[in-house]
Amino acid sequence: MKKRILTRFTVIMFIIGLMTAIQYNTINEPDIRDTRDAWEIRQELARENQLQSELLSEISSLDDTLGKYEAASDASPEQALRETAGELRKAAGLAETVGPGIEVLIEPSLEAVAMGLDIEGISPDLLIRLVNEINRFNGLYVSIDGKRIINTTAIRDINGQTTVNTKPVDTPPFSIKIISKSLEDSEKLYNHLLASRILDDFYIDNLTLTVSEPQTDLVIEAYDGAIDTKYLQASEGE
Amino acid sequence: MWLSILGLILGISLGLLTDIQIPPEYANYLSIAVLASLDTLFGGIRAHLQQVYDDKVFVSGFFFNIALAAGLAFLGVHLGVDLYLAAIFAFGVRLFQNIAVIRRIILAKWAEKKEVREIN
Repeated sequence: MKKRILTRFTVIMFIIGLMTAIQYNTINEPDIRDTRDAWEIRQELARENQLQSELLSEISSLDDTLGKYEAASDASPEQALRETAGELRKAAGLAETVGPGIEVLIEPSLEAVAMGLDIEGISPDLLIRLVNEINRFNGLYVSIDGKRIINTTAIRDINGQTTVNTKPVDTPPFSIKIISKSLEDSEKLYNHLLASRILDDFYIDNLTLTVSEPQTDLVIEAYDGAIDTKYLQASEGE
Repeated sequence: MWLSILGLILGISLGLLTDIQIPPEYANYLSIAVLASLDTLFGGIRAHLQQVYDDKVFVSGFFFNIALAAGLAFLGVHLGVDLYLAAIFAFGVRLFQNIAVIRRIILAKWAEKKEVREIN
């Protein structure tokens, strides 16, 4: 009798152990398996490489600045500081910038003019799409109809009018100026814009894009508003 | 007693070594089944200590409880009511009660033994 009870208990315990172990296995499944193929991994690698080279160039520019500071620390620290501040202002969009770039003219399409259609303003969605396209292809500084794009720029509809930095954009024609790092980058952007599908998107809205040849000295206006830094905080670093 | 613990160890090691997995959707059912089986196990131990152990009740209770708990959970999933909570609650309460009774019986036995030793 006793032996039978023991056997029963053993069997039941065995089943409990098995179930617990299976449950444990199920809950502690390995992380999602890496199912990328070689090509995707190569692309990932390429992205990381690009990031590395960007970081390296940033380091070297910072080293340059540091070197300048050290060289100028005896002579004129003020000058070095002013130069840095100027560079930062330029990067933030607070100073007028001159550089190699292209100019894009947005006009009503010939068909719309010939048909006598009303010329409507450009829609914010389309404008945002264009700016994204420009940013994707090495556009460094951009101004739309004389309104400089900075980090906090909003392109949106206010009371039925498309605005950039809360200032309304003219109904076409108006121009967009884009400065790139180098003339080569400008050429790349020029070619990309000429072949881009965004031309079709503009055509749907009865607009055409005319891209000018890259110029060496394009001038982009400074941002004329005040940058609100209410929510910015100094980071704790080094 | 040692044989049953050996059985437990054997079950766990077999489960871990074979690396059996069930689809994650069924993990809920299995967890309830584990709870039900634990409940039956401790109920059996209690019954054994109280000398009311019945083989048929024990074995049928084991499988029936598991099936009922899983069935309730299944029904709950399809009705959109968390019925498995009922099973978890019932089994959890019973588990604690059974363990408390087992503890009392063991304590009483221990105290009795001690008394006997002192008298001798």
